[in-house]
Amino acid sequence: MITILLIPIITSGLCYMLKNHRLIGYLSLAGAIVLSFFSIPAIMSSISSPVEILNGMLYMDALSGYIMALIVFLGLASATYSIGYLEHELRGGLINITGIRRYYALLHLFIFTMLIVTVSNNLALMWIAIEATTIVSAILIGLGFTKRELAIEAAWKYIILCTVGITFALLGTFIAYYASIAVIGTEGALNWTVLIGIANRLNPSTMKLAFIFVLVGYGTKAGLAPVHNWLPDAHSQAPSPISALLSGILLNTAFYGIMRFVSIVEPSTGSVFTGNLLVIFGIISIGISSIFILVQDNYKRLLAYSSIEHMGIISLGIGIGGPVGIYGALLHVLNHALSKPLMFFASGKIQSHYGSTRIENVNGVLSSIPLLGILTFIGALSLSGTPPFNIFLSEFTILKAGVDKGMWLMVGLFLFFAVIVSYGILSGFGKMLFNSPQSSVQSPQSLTPGLLTANRRLPDLFSNAIMITIAIFIIVLGFTIPDFIDSTIKECIKILGIL
Amino acid sequence: MKNWIQVFSVIDFISVGILLTAIAMNALKRIESCIKDYTFNSLLLSLLIAIVAFMVEETHLYIASIVTLLSKGLLIPMFLRKIVRQMKVTHDAEPYISNALSLTISGILVAVVYASLKEGIFVTGFSKNVLQISIAVILIGLFIMITRRKAVTQVIGLLFMENGLFLAGFSLTFGMPTIIELGVLFDMLMGVIILGIFAVQIKRYFASADLDKLTILKG
Repeated sequence: MITILLIPIITSGLCYMLKNHRLIGYLSLAGAIVLSFFSIPAIMSSISSPVEILNGMLYMDALSGYIMALIVFLGLASATYSIGYLEHELRGGLINITGIRRYYALLHLFIFTMLIVTVSNNLALMWIAIEATTIVSAILIGLGFTKRELAIEAAWKYIILCTVGITFALLGTFIAYYASIAVIGTEGALNWTVLIGIANRLNPSTMKLAFIFVLVGYGTKAGLAPVHNWLPDAHSQAPSPISALLSGILLNTAFYGIMRFVSIVEPSTGSVFTGNLLVIFGIISIGISSIFILVQDNYKRLLAYSSIEHMGIISLGIGIGGPVGIYGALLHVLNHALSKPLMFFASGKIQSHYGSTRIENVNGVLSSIPLLGILTFIGALSLSGTPPFNIFLSEFTILKAGVDKGMWLMVGLFLFFAVIVSYGILSGFGKMLFNSPQSSVQSPQSLTPGLLTANRRLPDLFSNAIMITIAIFIIVLGFTIPDFIDSTIKECIKILGIL
Repeated sequence: MKNWIQVFSVIDFISVGILLTAIAMNALKRIESCIKDYTFNSLLLSLLIAIVAFMVEETHLYIASIVTLLSKGLLIPMFLRKIVRQMKVTHDAEPYISNALSLTISGILVAVVYASLKEGIFVTGFSKNVLQISIAVILIGLFIMITRRKAVTQVIGLLFMENGLFLAGFSLTFGMPTIIELGVLFDMLMGVIILGIFAVQIKRYFASADLDKLTILKG
């Protein structure tokens, strides 16, 4: 486990020391590949038998492994995509070599902080790691690129809101610590493995208070409405590979914190309390994001609001509870972590081709760049929840859990908002994909000279390959859930112990 | 000596001092005095931890006290002063609302906290007032963040919140294990440094340190 944590740090250091921008890109890719090779056996073994090291400070079980696998995979995808992306930005004079060095160093540091979140057993250590992700990613969003003043505004909002929010999560952690000290004394009183054992003996009213603070705190970080205001700005202003990481996995890491807390709070307070809170937050998130998706004229912001919607759906799944609900939520975590990065990668390419993030300035992607168009189309269909794509499957599972429990109001609202969202996404991206390209004569294509000749270069080959891979996963997951994913999720449900 | 601390309720005096320094933020006009006020608040916090450490004879509390003194009492104020010099901002804090109103609202906040925590779900130890005061300091910090226009004042509001949070954690559980305490402080320090860097960037690109210029992103 220690090796897995060390690899990103070493990669980050090496990336900062090199001076050649090509070399740094390939080094970071190599680092990400090495990381995935080392993490696969660790993740496989953690699924069958949990590991605990460093005096119970670090701990890995199936749930950690599940999220960690996503982090490693998306880290690899993002490192692959970054090479071509940064090359393009460098040619456009938007970033210099110092910026590139810092970018790659921080990218791997960012992966490191997220990995720490998944393996920390100590709840306060988890808080420290989540706060560290905010700090590292804020620099990635705001600094390094020239001529991006808005990114500074977005990063300022991001760091202020998330730090304030997460301060409340620390207060919640303190309160949980207080409750557990009352039962077992200070020894290991913050370790999740200890807490899960004594969860039914904790004081219910104290744990209720703790859970509210934690939900507000980590919920801010996970982008749950109504504390989501930072999210559209940060996700739309960040460089595309970073947006993919932020949206695909960072939100899930924050939500992972909530899941761990739910599992220790529920035995003492009962599932009605946590479930209702999560369902209410979920429905509000889906509702608010659906309205903003409908009126959005900027496709990166549209994707950001769609992230809020999907986090709302995950929260709904956990809130409904029961094996089916949790299964749907965890499956949705995976599906969203595939579809959203694909869309952000694609939107990065569209942005660099058309030089605009407004929907009306982009026309006829499908006919002028067929491969990119097809990938975007697959991503958009998947995100809007169209069958037979992956997200439809997990949304349907969550819906079924809701129907089984007879939560008709919730089901009705969810369906209503889901229809609005799919209309918003499909109409937005439909305009970009299918409008005739003639109307884009005045679109600033001249901004990106030599792009078509550069299309056949190695970096672009890489980024296309990674996007095609993700698209294949999306299609496969729409038809069938492979056995190893199925068994991992079932193991996670057992760990969370929510029934 | 220990009797002495109890007889004169030194702990209560110090925690009231922490509350008063937080309330004083509402009335201060210059950014420099806000930083001084924050330094004073941190010193009191450190002193409080030291005294409790003396009373319960816990080594890790002494460490926490010293680390608080070094980071919050020394490093962060120095850094903030440097940022203010570098930005060459006008010295006025320029709140959105008048000082009198601001003070009144802070007073109401304190009253609300005391009223709502009267039933006291928590009684661990050394003082009845510390938890209420810490929650009040968190809320006042939040209030300052909302009502101030300058980037640096917002950071100071955030720092007051963190101080209040430390006090709350401390009153609930006699502090976290040392390693956790250090990790939290490190995060906070990095956060303040990054915020400082961004504040300078905002000043450079928007030609102003006022946050009301940051209204382009919405919807």
